[in-house]
Amino acid sequence: MQDPILEIRDVGKSFPGVKALSNLSMSVHRGEIVAFVGENGAGKSTLLKILSGDYQLDEGSVLLDGVEASHASPLEARLAGFRLVRQEPEIVPDISVAENIFIGEYPRRSGGRVDFVQMRNTVTDMLRRYGFWGLVDIDASGRSLSPAQMHIVEIMRALKQGVKVVAFDEPTSSLTHDETERLYELIRQLKADGLGIIYVSHRLHEVMEISDRVAVLKDGVPTGDLKTADTTEAHIVSLMVGRELEHGFKREETTRDEVVLEVEGLSSRWHDNISFRIRAGEIVGFAGLVGAGRTELAKVLFGEYQKQAGVVRICGQETRIRSPADAIAASIGFAPENRKAEGLILVRSVIENASMAVYSALSRFGVLRNQQMISAVSPFIERLEIKTPSLTQDVGKLSGGNQQKVVLARWLAANPRLLILDEPTRAVDVGAKMEIYRLMDMLAREGMAIMMISSEMPELISMSDRIIVMNNQKISQPVEKCDATEERIVNMALGTATA
Amino acid sequence: MNKPDGFLKRIMQAIGAENLSLIIALLAMVALIASQTEFFFSARNLFNIAQNMAVVGLIAVGMTLVIVSAGLDISVGSIAGCASVMTALVVVSTGSVLAGIGISLLVGLALGLVNAGIISFLRVNPVVATLATFSAFRGIAFLIAPGGRPVGVLDPTFAQLGSGRLFQMGEFPGVPVAFVILLVVALGAHFVMSTTVFGRSIYSMGGNPVAARLAGINLTRMRFAIYAISGALSGLAGAIVTARTSSGQPASGTQGLELEAITAVFLGGALLAGGKGTIVGSMLAVLLLATLSNGMNLLGIPTFYQLVAKGLLLVLAVAIGQWRMAHAERVQARLTSTGAT
Ligand SMILES: Nc1ncnc2c1ncn2[C@@H]1O[C@H](COP(=O)(O)OP(=O)(O)OP(=O)(O)O)[C@@H](O)[C@H]1O
Ligand SMILES: [Mg+2]
Repeated sequence: MQDPILEIRDVGKSFPGVKALSNLSMSVHRGEIVAFVGENGAGKSTLLKILSGDYQLDEGSVLLDGVEASHASPLEARLAGFRLVRQEPEIVPDISVAENIFIGEYPRRSGGRVDFVQMRNTVTDMLRRYGFWGLVDIDASGRSLSPAQMHIVEIMRALKQGVKVVAFDEPTSSLTHDETERLYELIRQLKADGLGIIYVSHRLHEVMEISDRVAVLKDGVPTGDLKTADTTEAHIVSLMVGRELEHGFKREETTRDEVVLEVEGLSSRWHDNISFRIRAGEIVGFAGLVGAGRTELAKVLFGEYQKQAGVVRICGQETRIRSPADAIAASIGFAPENRKAEGLILVRSVIENASMAVYSALSRFGVLRNQQMISAVSPFIERLEIKTPSLTQDVGKLSGGNQQKVVLARWLAANPRLLILDEPTRAVDVGAKMEIYRLMDMLAREGMAIMMISSEMPELISMSDRIIVMNNQKISQPVEKCDATEERIVNMALGTATA
Repeated sequence: MNKPDGFLKRIMQAIGAENLSLIIALLAMVALIASQTEFFFSARNLFNIAQNMAVVGLIAVGMTLVIVSAGLDISVGSIAGCASVMTALVVVSTGSVLAGIGISLLVGLALGLVNAGIISFLRVNPVVATLATFSAFRGIAFLIAPGGRPVGVLDPTFAQLGSGRLFQMGEFPGVPVAFVILLVVALGAHFVMSTTVFGRSIYSMGGNPVAARLAGINLTRMRFAIYAISGALSGLAGAIVTARTSSGQPASGTQGLELEAITAVFLGGALLAGGKGTIVGSMLAVLLLATLSNGMNLLGIPTFYQLVAKGLLLVLAVAIGQWRMAHAERVQARLTSTGAT
């Protein structure tokens, strides 16, 4: 066999209070796709950031195409041929998609001027070649992009000249089915071109489908390195978690008569005359393609965006919601999909982030009581198994999945009548996913109404009592649980079938 | 918990590990200055330092709120100038000290609201908005002073605000009244910032305004409150300047205060991006700055050099801030690893 294109030997890395990686060795060959799996906080992103030069390793060494690259700076790592598609893309809001893709590497003309023409042409070619043409406008500003489009930009950034190894950190967590298919195409193309590929994901069926080899991490320690063809999902899970986990989640119907949310004739910039209701104890799933207006609907209901017409009733009362503060006062909670931009205060602690929405309930005469704060949020932090050295750790220092759980903990602690969850299990590991399902089920049993936006078909189908499909500013008739199949929902979302 | 290092740990927590390097810098500087001149440790000099801290200190308290909320207030010195003149006019015409102090707070509060209004409703960036009012308010200070000249105040009771002393005993020169006011205000602000919904919300909105709004925080209302407080404290500082100089000063005594206050807040550990910063840190930095300028005076360093030094210090403050963040983390890690068992 050829020499590996990437070789990692005995790598170790610590953060204050956390041993993120220890004694990790593995290799990636040309034309090989190695999947990296492990629970939230297992150390997957840390490894990738060491390779990309964002973090420096404490022990061990890294060889890239036979060249020592253990202490590369981000620029050196890039020049050596390593590219990382990040879990949380950094998008500059005020420049175009094309500029975002070429940021730091603008093509030059004489006199140091940026060659905008060449840049646009190259980006157009890239999007065409890799099958993402039409999904994102190359002249759109970074600010206007959806999380999926941001991810496409981030992927395009990696595919420059001279790349030898590409690592994808949860590339599909904000992509829909169709975009995921296109991404697979792209990855197979890169494989055929002889690149080494690292693929990090919590979605094990993806790992089974795309990878040649699977490396498993648990608490920073490697627990397995297997040929994908010789293993099963269940076996991988047991290596990740250290125990067996039941598969799928079965919900019983808990819908009550009382209507919590009633939307009648709602119109806005993104919606045209939408009406639906959600009852107490009911989970209503919202399906649709990226850009169908599901997140926007959530934000209109939550008062972040304004509606143009229509009536919203909460528990039978017509309610005017002009700001998120109004919505919270009306007992609505909203966990946004884009946690970094909209969910979290990265420079503040876990406890502050988790208790923010209930500050006034936890205070007396405007003074917050520490004990109260701790007892309000720590049950949820425990139940969601949020991995953090302490409650006072900055949220920005948690792993991606654990950050997501902090946003959820906030709204679980607030205990609203109506909870809007936008992609609630995005980026969380299998074990935590089950726990989130269990919590949602428990909340529904207790009478909470839950509006769940999700792009994961199995999740939509197993968790929702009814599924509403959004398409072209309108919504479908709700699909009852018993009639919901993946195929049917996908077709409705694409607009190729009617309800 | 009851280990011998528990006590040390508690003290450390009270000061905050991130302020440790400030204290070390302060001690080093004191040692350096004291080694050059014996007069430094004299009761009279220490009294002077405390008295000089008050004006910048009050402004730095408000500035801490502003900077933590990811804003900036460049107009503080000009607000103090307006308040100084108004206070003098009111004390002269009514003879009431309380009315004088009251008007200084009111003028400051009103001008702070103007800042917040420009930022919130006209959507002007805080730096630009307060740079504009920095100029405008200074102009107003000259306009309200008859003839654009200082307004004399010869009220002995009012003068106590600037030069009065408490707890005087024999050799001990006592504590300046203005310093006591600063202490009370700073303690109150520390309490507000660390334990109240309002204070915690300032940290949230500074760290990520979108996320804060989606968690139910009304950013506009917060901004009005924050700039009003910054304005009112600047106004109070203006009143103290009036009392110390026995005249309402449109410019002298309040110029350059923005630079000193902003330097102090960054030196105290705040981030330009918002979301970080403490009253304790800012106050330690004010003490450090007051000691530094006192030391430079004692050592006979000319004013022009001092101006250059102040500019350098602002750059240094932000640079040190970056370094200290990393350092504090390491100190904290060591504390938790030794004290956790
Ligand atoms: N900058 C940092 N400072 C302190 N701790 C950190 C930092 N970055 C990561 N960690 C810690 O290192 C551990 C590994 O984190 P990492 O992000 O690699 O996890 P992950 O496997 O990518 O998880 P996820 O699936 O949630 O993305 C976590 O416990 C995390 O809290
Ligand atoms: Mg990660």
